[in-house]
Amino acid sequence: MRADDCVDCHVLVIGSGGAGVRAAIEASGYGDVVIVSKTIVGKGGCTPMAEGGYNAVLREQDSCGIHFEDTMKGGAFLNDPSLVEILVKESADRMADLIHWGAVFDFTEDNEIAQRPFGGQRFPRTCYAGDRTGHEMMTTLIDHLSSTPVVQMNEVAVIDLIKDGDAVIGAIALDEKGEMVMIKADSTILATGGGTRIFDISTNSASGTGDGFAIGYRAGAELIDMEMVQFHPTGAVYPYDARGRLVTEAVRGEGGILKNMLGERFMTKYDPERMELSTRDVVARAIATEVLNGRGTKNGGVYLDVTHLPREQIEAKLPVMLEQFLKFGVDIRNEPMEVAPTAHHVMGGLRITPRCESTLRGLFACGEVAGGVHGANRLGGNALADTQVFGKRAGEAAGKAEKRTKRIDEQQIVGEHEHLIRFLEGSVSPAAVTGDLQRAMWNGAGIFRNATDLRAALAKVMHLARSDIRAASARNLPECCTFQNMCLTATLVCKSALLRPESRGAHVRTDICHAWDAQTSPFSHTYISKSHEGIMRRGGTA
Amino acid sequence: MKKISVKVLRFDPEKERDPHLETYLIPVNDGARVLHALHAIHDGIDSTLAYRYCCGSGQCGSCAVRVDGEPVLACMEEAREGIVIEPLKLPVKKDLVVDLLPMINALPHLEPAGEPVMLSKQDIDAIKPLRSCIECLACLSVCPAMDVTKFLGPTAMRQEMRLALDPRNKANRITEAIREGLFTCTTCQACWKACPKDIEIPGKAIEKLRAIANRNGLTLPRHQEVATLIKETGRSVPKTEPTFLELVPAEVIEPYGEVKGTVGFFVGCMYNMRLPKTALDAIEVLRRNGIRVIIPKEQVCCGSPLIRTGQLSFLDTLKRRNIDSFVFRGIDTVMTMCAGCGSTLKNDYRTPFKVKDISEVLAGCGIEPPARLPVKATYHDPCHLLRGQGIRDLPRQLVCQVIDLIEMPSICCGSGGGVRSGNPEEAAALGKRRGGEIQKTGADIVISSCPFCEFHIAGYTDKPVKNIASVLLEGYTEKDRRKGAKAVSRPNE
Ligand SMILES: Cc1cc2nc3c(=O)[nH]c(=O)nc-3n(C[C@H](O)[C@H](O)[C@H](O)COP(=O)(O)OP(=O)(O)OC[C@H]3O[C@@H](n4cnc5c(N)ncnc54)[C@H](O)[C@@H]3O)c2cc1C
Ligand code: SF4
Ligand code: SF4
Ligand code: FES
Repeated sequence: MRADDCVDCHVLVIGSGGAGVRAAIEASGYGDVVIVSKTIVGKGGCTPMAEGGYNAVLREQDSCGIHFEDTMKGGAFLNDPSLVEILVKESADRMADLIHWGAVFDFTEDNEIAQRPFGGQRFPRTCYAGDRTGHEMMTTLIDHLSSTPVVQMNEVAVIDLIKDGDAVIGAIALDEKGEMVMIKADSTILATGGGTRIFDISTNSASGTGDGFAIGYRAGAELIDMEMVQFHPTGAVYPYDARGRLVTEAVRGEGGILKNMLGERFMTKYDPERMELSTRDVVARAIATEVLNGRGTKNGGVYLDVTHLPREQIEAKLPVMLEQFLKFGVDIRNEPMEVAPTAHHVMGGLRITPRCESTLRGLFACGEVAGGVHGANRLGGNALADTQVFGKRAGEAAGKAEKRTKRIDEQQIVGEHEHLIRFLEGSVSPAAVTGDLQRAMWNGAGIFRNATDLRAALAKVMHLARSDIRAASARNLPECCTFQNMCLTATLVCKSALLRPESRGAHVRTDICHAWDAQTSPFSHTYISKSHEGIMRRGGTA
Repeated sequence: MKKISVKVLRFDPEKERDPHLETYLIPVNDGARVLHALHAIHDGIDSTLAYRYCCGSGQCGSCAVRVDGEPVLACMEEAREGIVIEPLKLPVKKDLVVDLLPMINALPHLEPAGEPVMLSKQDIDAIKPLRSCIECLACLSVCPAMDVTKFLGPTAMRQEMRLALDPRNKANRITEAIREGLFTCTTCQACWKACPKDIEIPGKAIEKLRAIANRNGLTLPRHQEVATLIKETGRSVPKTEPTFLELVPAEVIEPYGEVKGTVGFFVGCMYNMRLPKTALDAIEVLRRNGIRVIIPKEQVCCGSPLIRTGQLSFLDTLKRRNIDSFVFRGIDTVMTMCAGCGSTLKNDYRTPFKVKDISEVLAGCGIEPPARLPVKATYHDPCHLLRGQGIRDLPRQLVCQVIDLIEMPSICCGSGGGVRSGNPEEAAALGKRRGGEIQKTGADIVISSCPFCEFHIAGYTDKPVKNIASVLLEGYTEKDRRKGAKAVSRPNE
């Protein structure tokens, strides 16, 4: 492929989850927009999988101030306050957009959007569409996207950004046949979602491989708080191949009880007051401790039991759970579920301004690939709101950015080509080493961390990253790139975890004792880029 | 870990002329899904195998394939020994990857009205059952109408109805829906049964859209004629010969022997007026098996032809009259022998009595064994019995007591949903396809259990098409003949 043989547009959006599609819709008001997605647009990513809901301040009894405080407290005060302020202020307007475009959220008897309580929030502010909230949003967004002139490129995986000097001027991608595609753009928006697939046990979709973190890093962008990975306490453990599949928090909300193999209701030991309804990090650590100490089931989980609840309640309030478990041979009305923690969400990501600008000129980021909004721990319901609020902001800022002359550096293209050609001559299939990577991360950089294990995981990951990866055919090239992205994302997580000498939110260092708590911690964000890395002090710089 | 063997249809249209089945022996964990079997092939044997997936939990609609012919989500369906995995019936890009986009992009979109419109909980509740579609396109792979005529397909109709229910959508799209093929649907229910989200497209979308068309004066003229006839005569077909209700000797028909049960008989227009002989055969079979049959003479059309075509204005009168006629006689079980009437009474009525198909009644009392007849038969599943009432095995069990059965694929014959009258060409194309399948079996006769199917299929096969009851009766007659013959040959015993 030659440098002049490429798509040219004003705004390029990479990723078609909630954030990417929202950004594309917004940007389409300013010029021609191309949206590129690894999957069929709308079918990929984690947005369509979100069950729980979307946080927005809609009632008079609630306020943005309380939502702000809840979010900061949940995030162990590591969140960027200016971003949180935007999130809580604009989330209701973005909900109104969705409703205007045709979304079908649940309503109350008074014809208002219904809201339910979610962990860590003082007001029931989580809007929902049954237990398929993310899917409802995605359906609405795709429906609306089709009424805009945005060009969709489906099943095209971006492998790197194109640079002109310091600025990003587009991206290089592979189509489903493994052929290279180049897209030049005045502004490029990264909206590739998260990456907890780097762990052995994960709730994420197949596209949650951290491509955006790796792509951004390689282009020179700075990422913050990459050590902050949320482990959801309840993931399925059976069947083995579907392990990690999310068992929604609503199960505990409805009254589900956690028990170990000995039949003990162990939360009495960890949080006797809130019991099963304690925060995600506390419950996840409690379950992990029980299993580590040999009180888990033979599948490596604990029991989550709703059999004491009326059958009708289970049928009415947890229909999807009931149906999913029935498919896997467990009738949750009669027998307990088996659950264990699962890697769920990456709070860290590209450093952004309130206009979603990354540290690189021409590159914007929004959604889970961006960092700073959720601090050290995300509240349930805030991520979907994040996709809409910051998706719109990214689209607007990218759309308003000026047109530029974009010069493609032939050298970079040649380099990419050579990189790909090497895969065709490689010897190790990505599938053969992905499991090793995921287990190394789960064991060394999981719920409980210490420097020794983190260093061991890092060494293993860096070793795997050097594997002589092989593509069986050109169509397999994207898998090879994905594997390398997973390795790089894993490296960023390990390195950042080593940079933070404290336990904070989702990040637990068992080898470090400190007197301060989250509010009095001397530390702020960790940061990492090709040129520098470190940890910032509160109210100051590194 | 255990080992299972699966077959996968492999095809690279750029390199090969035809697809071929490849067999793989793969290790899978306990409880593995079809998707995990595909992973095992891809990761361990041949990484060029192409297939789609993303969420792994039935939420994104990327992974639909056909397993042993039936469309399923690969990530939810259990991987079993010996399964055959094929792509959906859409253009194949490679192996199991089909081109979903033309169909997805053709789905209609909401056009918001300029001013924000207030929604009510009522609107939401109405739309919700049509909203959980994940655009997996499983339903397209089973729709008979799409195979033979221009029809945008079940999920497009679902989306049209969803838009029709939404006050935020500015346009009335009923003419578009008609152009997209609203009247080509045979209401065979196959899309509903294939849908992983259990969306009842024929009942909740297609029939409702046809009702909107009706309110807009857009019902097909042939369908209007039927409605007029029902309104004037209480029957959906004109009278040409003495009806069953006229021919049957009494209102209560007692069985020959001990009374094992009592049913009220809902005859239905076709058996009453076009095939009365078949209904009389059924009465004989019931008498022989201890069933007392009560036949209220004031019963009328069940209303199915009206419901399927969206003409609902005097439906309630029919329903009331039918229900009253049985309730008045204190009947607690009503029997149908027409699959369409049975499905309508079971699904579209709220009855104070139980409704059973004749196969349920006969199987319930355990029939006297008939003689075996020396012919081979094949059985056509009426859509409204198989899917409308979930009855598959009972008719087969009955048939197998008289005749050897040769199976054929369960496909729609094309007579339902008002298609035979409204879209004769489509009905003919589907009938022809049905005839072809019958031919392939090499059977001597075709057996079914629905007058519409029997009537329609008879036009597309040279084999006799018979109702189950008639075949059972033949078995009894043969049995009696043999007994008689025995008696004659040994008169002095
Ligand atoms: C099971 C589950 C349940 C959840 N429930 C909730 C909830 O109830 N409430 C809540 O607030 N949050 C929830 N979350 C979190 C939330 O869903 C996500 O954080 C959010 O949807 C992320 O949106 P996104 O647009 O940033 O990314 P995604 O929706 O993940 O989309 C990423 C997109 O990028 C594309 N992509 C990735 N890599 C590339 C590449 N290299 N080239 C091209 N395209 C690429 C993907 O195909 C995809 O289209 C849940 C998450 C999971 C996994
Ligand atoms: S009911 Fe049958 S004919 Fe009608 S849309 Fe569904 S599959 Fe097609
Ligand atoms: S209606 Fe059901 S089967 Fe058809 S595309 Fe939607 S989810 Fe799939
Ligand atoms: S992979 Fe998403 S529905 Fe099967």
